[in-house]
Amino acid sequence: MIKLNKVSKWYGNFQVLSDCSTEIQKGEVVVVCGPSGSGKSTLIKTINGLEAYQQGEVHVDGVHVGHSHKELAALRARLSMVFQHFELFPHLSILDNLTLAQIKVLGRNRADAEAKGLKLLARVGLKEQAAKYPGQLSGGQQQRVAIARALSMDPKAILFDEPTSALDPEMVNEVLDVMVELAKEGMTMVCVTHEMGFARKVASRVIFMDKGNIVEDRRKEDFFNSPHSERAKDFLAKIIH
Amino acid sequence: MNTVELLSMSAPRLAMGALITVKFAVAAMVFGLLLGAVVAVMSISTDRLLPACARAYVSVMRGTPLLVQMFVVYYGLPDLGISLDPTSAGILTLTLNAGAYLSESMRGAILGVGRGQWSAAHSLGLSHYQTLRYVVGPQALRLAVPSLGNTLISLVKDTSLVSVITVTELLRSSQEIIAATYQPLPLYIAAALIYWVLSTVLSAVQHHVEGRLTLQTR
Repeated sequence: MIKLNKVSKWYGNFQVLSDCSTEIQKGEVVVVCGPSGSGKSTLIKTINGLEAYQQGEVHVDGVHVGHSHKELAALRARLSMVFQHFELFPHLSILDNLTLAQIKVLGRNRADAEAKGLKLLARVGLKEQAAKYPGQLSGGQQQRVAIARALSMDPKAILFDEPTSALDPEMVNEVLDVMVELAKEGMTMVCVTHEMGFARKVASRVIFMDKGNIVEDRRKEDFFNSPHSERAKDFLAKIIH
Repeated sequence: MNTVELLSMSAPRLAMGALITVKFAVAAMVFGLLLGAVVAVMSISTDRLLPACARAYVSVMRGTPLLVQMFVVYYGLPDLGISLDPTSAGILTLTLNAGAYLSESMRGAILGVGRGQWSAAHSLGLSHYQTLRYVVGPQALRLAVPSLGNTLISLVKDTSLVSVITVTELLRSSQEIIAATYQPLPLYIAAALIYWVLSTVLSAVQHHVEGRLTLQTR
């Protein structure tokens, strides 16, 4: 349902993505990893049009992710994203964070949106926090709210951009647990993450990137047991002690 | 006539003048905030022309004296067939001038809200204007209040310049009394005190608004 074909992007003369191609099927959980600065986050942001690219093509559900704003908005509503720094709306209550886009983008009425929001908050174990503001929650709780917010749009896939990198170590698991559960329910997920434990547990495929290239794009067993490239071997050696 | 008698005699006229000063200040604040918001939104537009227009406007209004702007509007525009009465000319000029400063405060505040908030709103399908309206705008407003308050307090004092285009506001009222009584010091000090009171009230309003806006996020 997501297809990247030779996507390239430059910042001035510096090439951040070069000829990246891959395809992600419905229900797949794809983990994107690689050293920092390798273009992982940039790559997944091209999928929902948050990052423009200069060459190649991105298709989601048959829709070309290009420059038409109308199509982009419709696409983004079907493809949610979870960010490294949560990016909850600090001036809105937790529940309003979950209802804003449902009401303004999907046109749901407030009662339905709130019912849906509360159901999702219950699912991530935060129903009691509905009336609080983001600043009153811990990092792990905020990220769980962010995942609930992503789910509130009934997305066909969720993009995760280093969802646990900004968290204190003791909060990583509460977020990963929610993600594992989602994966088990068959949600299509693309996750930029360094959490190899998560990758081993639920990924169907691992994409390894280095210097803007997709170096490996393989089934998780193959990637972990016998990485082809020296760079991936190095990376795995460093990240798994 | 001693000072107390003088001031109690002048009080009604000074109060009348102060009322007119408040009228000009409030009108220019309301229109200036609206204009400032529009110009701020123009200045962060992704379009090419709109930010350039906004920049040119701000540059002209900030780069020329308010007094000169007042003369241009009141005495200059009639040459082009646009004759405004003193009240309209005064409010228009004050609005145009304050709008430029207010728009810069708002633009700065909008830029002060992290890019991540835009990304998050866009990723949920909100449009540029929806993001401004529901996500970035409310947060920017909170950031902008101190600097908006600053400009609005200046505006109260700037209204004294409309006295030069024959509006009998606070300053001109006191000048008229002085012309009849030849006692400049007590009357100018009385006028200054009234400006100070008005500014202080406004600054109290600003603190109240700041307090309320912070409460909502904590």
